[in-house]
Amino acid sequence: MFKSYHKIILSTVLLASAATSTVCAKYADASRTYSNGKKVIDGGSTYPVKSNKTSAYYVNTKADKGRFTFGRTPTKNEIKAWNIDVMPDGTGLPEGHGTVEEGDSLYEEKCAACHFDFGTGGSGYPALQKGNAYEAQKTLTNQRTSPDADGPIRVFGSYWPRASTLWWYIKTGMPHPAPMSLTNDQVYALSAYILSINEIKIDGEELDDDYELDRAKFLKIVMPNKDGFIPKIDGPHGVENARKFFNDFKNYGNGTRCMKNCFDGKPVLSRISGSGISDYQPPISTKRSLPVQKEGAAGADAPGKKTYEASCAVCHATDAMGAPKVGDKKAWAAVLKKGIDKVYLNALNGVNGMPPKGGTSLPDDKVKEVVDYMVSQAK
Amino acid sequence: MTKISKASQMTAEQSDRRDFFRKTAAYSVSALAAASVMAPVKINAEDDPAIVEEKKWGTTFGYPVTHNLYGQPSPYEHNVTRRYTKLLSSGNYYASIAMCPIHESMGIITPNGLFFNREHGGVAEIDPNEHRLMIHGLVEKPLVLTMDELKKYPSVSRIHFIECPANGGPEWRGPQFPSIQFAKGMMSCAEWTGVYIKDILKDLGLKKEALWMLAEGVDNAHMGRTVPIDKVLDDAMIVWGQNGEALRPEQGYPIRLLVPGWEGNLCVKWLGRLEFGSEPWYAKEETSKYTALKPSGKAIQHFYANEVNSVITSPCPEKPWTDLKKGDLVEIEGLAWSGMGTIEGVDLSFDGGKNWVEASLKGLVLPKAWTRFSLMYKYEGKPLLLSSRARDDAGHIQPTVKHEREVMGVESVYHRNGIFTWEVTEKGEVNNVQVLS
Repeated sequence: MFKSYHKIILSTVLLASAATSTVCAKYADASRTYSNGKKVIDGGSTYPVKSNKTSAYYVNTKADKGRFTFGRTPTKNEIKAWNIDVMPDGTGLPEGHGTVEEGDSLYEEKCAACHFDFGTGGSGYPALQKGNAYEAQKTLTNQRTSPDADGPIRVFGSYWPRASTLWWYIKTGMPHPAPMSLTNDQVYALSAYILSINEIKIDGEELDDDYELDRAKFLKIVMPNKDGFIPKIDGPHGVENARKFFNDFKNYGNGTRCMKNCFDGKPVLSRISGSGISDYQPPISTKRSLPVQKEGAAGADAPGKKTYEASCAVCHATDAMGAPKVGDKKAWAAVLKKGIDKVYLNALNGVNGMPPKGGTSLPDDKVKEVVDYMVSQAK
Repeated sequence: MTKISKASQMTAEQSDRRDFFRKTAAYSVSALAAASVMAPVKINAEDDPAIVEEKKWGTTFGYPVTHNLYGQPSPYEHNVTRRYTKLLSSGNYYASIAMCPIHESMGIITPNGLFFNREHGGVAEIDPNEHRLMIHGLVEKPLVLTMDELKKYPSVSRIHFIECPANGGPEWRGPQFPSIQFAKGMMSCAEWTGVYIKDILKDLGLKKEALWMLAEGVDNAHMGRTVPIDKVLDDAMIVWGQNGEALRPEQGYPIRLLVPGWEGNLCVKWLGRLEFGSEPWYAKEETSKYTALKPSGKAIQHFYANEVNSVITSPCPEKPWTDLKKGDLVEIEGLAWSGMGTIEGVDLSFDGGKNWVEASLKGLVLPKAWTRFSLMYKYEGKPLLLSSRARDDAGHIQPTVKHEREVMGVESVYHRNGIFTWEVTEKGEVNNVQVLS
């Protein structure tokens, strides 16, 4: 009895001293190395299972022995259908060909609406080039530490280390609303065009309009920034390089636990310039209140609302397409200057980039209902 | 029998009272004290109407159990939502991000409807009956599983945060957002349920040359990322559960990859395929986006873990101290997290990081999970510079903004974990500032 009481006191003392120590681990089993003795690859901790637990979690140690029988072997066609990646060594890159000129007209048709002419980007859509890639690559040491300093140029030509990523991107990600819709030849043509506007040479050769890109030529592309990334992850030592890199905190910085007088003088402050970025949707509020119901036609059952959502919101929900955005008071005030009858007529007959009735086959009165709904949202 | 008759007696009495009340109420509705039905009193100015007035919810039926079979938050909580801004979208709202209202978060679990979501091609709505998981490449036995088959594997549940490595990224060159939701809301934390990939691999015969795994989604973006085999064999999971229910579509329903603590974009949503290989893939967004450019002109690629980080959530711009009076005892509260391990402790500073005191941790302290910290403070109405500095059990400590800029410059975009500071004004308003000392 006395012994165990004594033990409790002792362990309490130990606990108390551990709690004040700065190196106390929350979990006794936390380790910086895996069971094979290698450091954790990201420079962090791992929590091996000890006494049926990993950190705070109990585990069923009989559940991880394998011998499960679920599922089946995929067929060759199934693997082929889903194995759509393209690797730097050409794995997954199919045969095909396309010229810069073919790429140019495809670009006009399928890409320019978002990425603008010659891939200059805009309205939030990324630029695909910013001049000669070899020159642009040299800007990667730029730092915007003063307001008038130029930043680094990070576009495909100046930044990406491997061309295979471009082919993969176009084939499985573009055009954004319809990925996987381009043929392999079209992807080669678009790749050729994008390489040419970045002024990238293949085997010392400039890509003029009738340059035809194919698989063999594609694999000869050397990107200007191919050595721009650390750690080196290629080859049999790639994983070890990453392990070494992330276990050296100096590579990405680490703080110190200073407690008193950590710098001289008063703190130097950086503040938000102007009102900063505060265009938030919905606007910030922490009020506990009922949502405000919009009056009349703007309510949930307003005539025209459903039609709007089904047929018109694609263009009018944002101003990205150049259409007046629903709810944008300024934009609609400009539209209504011409009077509501003119707005009805425009909606029925088409205006600017909008086809008659927005490309729908709605009856006239339904179109007017939608106009009324859209106008009501901007009041 | 006695009991029943007693009960019916009481009911009769109550209905008498109600009749009395109705009659009285007809004469002076608002002047009635609820607790004094039998003896109505005149209400005085200092009496709180919230207490002394009858409320409709106390005198009528609520809604029946047949209503709202999938429960909804109170309509009074409608301002607690994700938020977005045009400035953080790639041209449209299909490739964009919606921020988590972390100022309204309680504890360490984010409700599924408030979990931040970042998409590259919109939210796919997948029919789980027509979805498969394929595992192939450098394995002896490639495998295809239906969702029902996948869920037959022994499940594990783990609480982990997911954070976009761009969280705080717009503020490398100085503070930009007068809001915690936008300054630090590209993260959330949930309990995830799924299966360890290493448990499935036991039967598949992983080949020795396999050093990397490609994870790929089947949505519009076909998002892909390369994961080193070390992580796959440590704690990477395929998850289908989020806080006790199926993943939300925004989180990759029916399944996503979870690589605890690592960049959110590695946790590939709408997961369809895992391929094992001997070389990294250079996947679409892998080098085009998720790399951190240093002043040397070299960029860190495969920057896996979100480093140790913290932010004070109360006070904050959305929840200022403008309603406090001098002498009030108030809790300073916040969130700390590390993708590299478990939070060891958090220090707080009232003078922008010149002097520090240790805060208390509270609640559950788990690896790679949000951790709450707390410090009791007697409000004096003086201006403050409130900073927090977390450290983890792998030996990482949040750097000062100055130190972080010395190492990483200001063009990294991703992985910013420098010490975060709020300026509290004399009036108790809260501003987003950075200390450069």
